[in-house]
Amino acid sequence: MDAQPTSSSAVPRRDPAKVMRLARLGSFHQSRLSFMRILTRRMSRENWTFSRPVFQMDARGVGHAVYCAHTPDRTYSLVAFAHDLPADKRSDRVIAEAWDSTFTLFDGVPDEADIERLRANVPLQEAGRVTLSELSVSRANRSVRLWDYMVECLADGRQPDAGEVAAVGYLMRTTAVYGSGKLGAADREAIADRPECAAPFQIEMLSVFLTRTYVRDLMQHMADQKGGARAVRLDPKIARSMGIGNSTGLGMAPFLLNHPVLFNNWIAAREEAISRVRSLPAASTAEITLFRNLLARAVLSAERWTSSHPIQIKKLAVLRRDLGRLSDHVDQFGLRQNRPWDQVFQWAESTLGLDAQECLASLMLEPYGDLVDDLADTMADAQAQSLRIDGAMPVARVRAILKDAYGWALEVNWDKKAHCARAWYVSEEKLEPRLGERFEEPIAPYEQPLAPGRDAAELVKALDGWHDDTRIAEFLLVHPNHRHTVRRIQIVDRAPYAEIRDNTIGSDLLPIDMLRCKLSFFGATQFDPRSDRWVRICMFGNAPYPEDLGPQGDDFWSYPSIDRGTH
Amino acid sequence: MNRSLGEIETLAKRAARGAGLSWGLSDDAGRAVRWLASRQLPAADVFVALLDQNDTCVSADIAPVSLGGDWRARGGRLCPLSSGAALSDCADRLSSGAAIQMLGISFPLLVVPFAAWAALHIKAPITIGWDAVEIATDGHGILVSDPDRQIETASTARLRCTCSNQTHDLTGHPGLRGVVSEKSWETLQTFAHRTYAPATEASRLRGAGAGTSDND
Repeated sequence: MDAQPTSSSAVPRRDPAKVMRLARLGSFHQSRLSFMRILTRRMSRENWTFSRPVFQMDARGVGHAVYCAHTPDRTYSLVAFAHDLPADKRSDRVIAEAWDSTFTLFDGVPDEADIERLRANVPLQEAGRVTLSELSVSRANRSVRLWDYMVECLADGRQPDAGEVAAVGYLMRTTAVYGSGKLGAADREAIADRPECAAPFQIEMLSVFLTRTYVRDLMQHMADQKGGARAVRLDPKIARSMGIGNSTGLGMAPFLLNHPVLFNNWIAAREEAISRVRSLPAASTAEITLFRNLLARAVLSAERWTSSHPIQIKKLAVLRRDLGRLSDHVDQFGLRQNRPWDQVFQWAESTLGLDAQECLASLMLEPYGDLVDDLADTMADAQAQSLRIDGAMPVARVRAILKDAYGWALEVNWDKKAHCARAWYVSEEKLEPRLGERFEEPIAPYEQPLAPGRDAAELVKALDGWHDDTRIAEFLLVHPNHRHTVRRIQIVDRAPYAEIRDNTIGSDLLPIDMLRCKLSFFGATQFDPRSDRWVRICMFGNAPYPEDLGPQGDDFWSYPSIDRGTH
Repeated sequence: MNRSLGEIETLAKRAARGAGLSWGLSDDAGRAVRWLASRQLPAADVFVALLDQNDTCVSADIAPVSLGGDWRARGGRLCPLSSGAALSDCADRLSSGAAIQMLGISFPLLVVPFAAWAALHIKAPITIGWDAVEIATDGHGILVSDPDRQIETASTARLRCTCSNQTHDLTGHPGLRGVVSEKSWETLQTFAHRTYAPATEASRLRGAGAGTSDND
């Protein structure tokens, strides 16, 4: 398809001032440009093959397994260690010290010596060391209730109830999946020039994809051990419905602030995709049919999406109502007008809540892989190491960018307690990021630079009295404490979606908004906050297993199937 | 021990902050140590020595007083990080052929990564020289001439930085790992530790957010 709209007639990308508010970012949905889907598309397109050369588990399910993914050029191997974890050790805190299973993604095929080296390190996670040969390190715990139930059922010769399975959605939850040099693993530079790593987080997603197969196999192994001849194999439909859970706390939120260029590239890719589709003069019957089918599946997804958190319950109610209105609107008006996607999107913007607007934005991209999928390769940050400050920039220009991109922050009274009630810090204990109460805990001296709005307002004050023509390097020589803010401002000047344009330290901050934004780009579904700052999600739910992939694979697996009857 | 570059950068950045550098300069310091370590230069040892030396210094006393003329500190020796950052900020000056000279500067090796970023910006190689040391870089590769083993020197009277017209064979392209001695690593951790808030029961309970039981 050569449907690239001409720039003169294109609907422009949305204004960063509109997109980069936390309430909207916290309403994002997965899309074609989510990292899981980018990975499964590539696997299908390139006909990746998979093998399981090692599966050595004893009757208690303790042992190790190796799962290989063979790309056209190389092999990646998930090395999984299965442990027998007592219940009192099972914590979903990133700072836990033992897990049901631990993993590493090995670059190539590990030999015996590699396995023994990894066995001595990977189960220890943070206390262990890996090498340039390892690309990620991760761990997972069982969903105990569902695990025991499913093992029991299969051992007893019957299939588990699909409703019971759907109520949880996964057999294991990962906590952190570490990549990019963590714990001694290979840095991104080591793999950045491989085509399968061009999009962000592909290694981490591959690790989770293979983990899902391992978890299914391990549960089956336990059922077989227990039931012997009576045991039955898990119905592939039920297996397919299950994903991998993930428990995510605050650690992900600072990531978005600490990687402004990367974050910009994610948002800019999605905004460009939305702009391209909105600019299309017409939609074909096939495109409309596909959209309506996926809208119906999105409605089903919203119906099945459960949460016990009051904020999310409210959001879900509005989303369900709005998706109903969207379906009615499409039924009534069709998509036959001039620029149909722009029309329906404008209608949604004026009628629906943020959640449904963003759901529609993602849905509209679905029929247009040929038009938008190339943007996947623009989402990484190829220049991560060069964040030079342009010291020749005149103070007048700095002031202009501040006014333009941080206007919202200049209107906030940062002296008011409610507007700076929180502070981000790193705790001595386990070195994890935390969010504290500035006026109730002794944390202010340890505050991390994660309040760009407040810092921009402080920079404006510090620039008072500096001549417009002065180069910013002169200012920074006297005020090195504003150096990080000047760097951000210059980044935002060339990467307009780099900055969250909202207060990240206010008393009303919901860190889950930042988590949801990031997780939507991963491709997560079933976002389920457990508090204002940690969340459970499902990854690769309903996705193909390795044996289901192929050129005829289901590109739209992230939407539950209406026909399949299961999740 | 052989470490990932990301680990080295992260710890160096935290150590810089722990030593009292601004966040922005700490970012630069982390990247500078990473840049040198990936070229198998003794980055961490030199960086640790600088942090130790300047631990009680007031930053304004060891930053360049002015960007005009030769650069010098108000009191004591110039800090190579604040001087390096200023050099990178002012990279355009070098493209006109002008030299930037830094007088009485500590641990001149730490200026090199900033010169490399300047070289990337002006798209021309830069030569950095002190004593008998001469280092050329185009931002990626590096050529070191160090006949008298002065690359790790604690100070030099004069560091000179110029845009180079010569075409060098810049072979020292970055590796994927860096080596940091255990002693330097421990010192970096000691500095970094100053940036961590002491754990309290309140922070444990509400700060991190996650639950404590995963048995459901």
